[in-house]
Amino acid sequence: MHISEGVLSPGVLIAGAALTTAGVAVGLKGLDHEEIPSMGILSAAFFVASLVHVPIGPSSVHLILNGLLGLILGWKAFPAILVGLALHALLFQFGGITTLGVNTLNMALPAIICSYLFGWGVRTGTRQLIFTVTAFACGSCAVLISGMLVGFSLYLTGEAFLPAAKVVVAVHFPVMLIEGVLTAACALFLRRVKPELLEGQYVAKPSS
Amino acid sequence: MWQNPHPSPNVPCSGRWMVYLVSAAFWLVFSTMPAWAHKVMIFAWVEGDTVYTQSKFSGGKKAKNATVLVYDEEGHQLLEGKTDEQGEFSFKVPKKTDLKIVLKASMGHMAEWKIPAEEIKGEAGPSTDAKTSRELPVPGNVSLSRQEVKALIDESLDRKLAPILNMLADSLDRGPSVSEVIGGVGYIFGLVGVALYFATRRKRK
Repeated sequence: MHISEGVLSPGVLIAGAALTTAGVAVGLKGLDHEEIPSMGILSAAFFVASLVHVPIGPSSVHLILNGLLGLILGWKAFPAILVGLALHALLFQFGGITTLGVNTLNMALPAIICSYLFGWGVRTGTRQLIFTVTAFACGSCAVLISGMLVGFSLYLTGEAFLPAAKVVVAVHFPVMLIEGVLTAACALFLRRVKPELLEGQYVAKPSS
Repeated sequence: MWQNPHPSPNVPCSGRWMVYLVSAAFWLVFSTMPAWAHKVMIFAWVEGDTVYTQSKFSGGKKAKNATVLVYDEEGHQLLEGKTDEQGEFSFKVPKKTDLKIVLKASMGHMAEWKIPAEEIKGEAGPSTDAKTSRELPVPGNVSLSRQEVKALIDESLDRKLAPILNMLADSLDRGPSVSEVIGGVGYIFGLVGVALYFATRRKRK
């Protein structure tokens, strides 16, 4: 998922950086200090999840967990993913500094799209089945959309879209399943032990 | 609906700008660091007149069927090839110059390796010379030319160093270590601390 340096054209890099800046600005707008710890914990989870490699296909894929971040953090997933990716680039040379914008966009945008698409089920789903299915869909679709965005970024740089996107999506299919199960499991667990984390941003909390 | 239910009241701008400034400073400091390797790695070495390359993903998986491009120092493409099932690709030295070997794996992964011209010997195969000279009936007094001695030494060094080169290639492939992972998580928690510091200071004002 991490696009390396020197692959994309400058135009794509700049556009990605600009959109990521906008996303991070939205995420940080009106940030409450009570939300900072959960952002940090999820950012750390994202940082570590990417080191879990799944050896499949011609490439090497890893967990992303962006669906879970979107589900819990909403727009605040943007800064959380940016921090995780910046550390990947600095410590492990995954991705790169110049591609940080594009990579953040490719992983954070699907998180937000999925939280809009499936968040209702997790927020309002009183029935276990709806809750589980929407959480699963949120986790797996985030990976799918990420894969398509990576393919699209490569396409904008001149690679043929269909083959590139096909490879990315096919390779990530097993990851989609794993992520869906993980996201559903996390959401179910959180609903039992800390439901306000799932609802925190949608339902008014008792004022502290 | 997405808005925070109770946004912090009257945020003074100075604290927030402080955060922006600090992060911009970090960005400037870190962006000057050399970023030479990425998620795929290519490692190349010269043996005789052949260049061998090995390509791997950071998980330790071989990069199969990936494109390898070879450039000279002016950036002209000299040749192109594909890695085999073992992630390996070898080619005859096309010309005596600095070589830049670029690996392009799928999904936007890319890596490069440079071989300076000094590591490359002349194209004329010196090893064959060495062989013929060795097979010659040797009279009592051995007199080898400077050239032949050099070729002999090079040949045996190549053979002796091969395992070490392989070891080096493997060690380059080393994934993220535990200490780096813990360090990264520590960074994140540190950032949380900084953010909380500014957030609470903001609130107190």
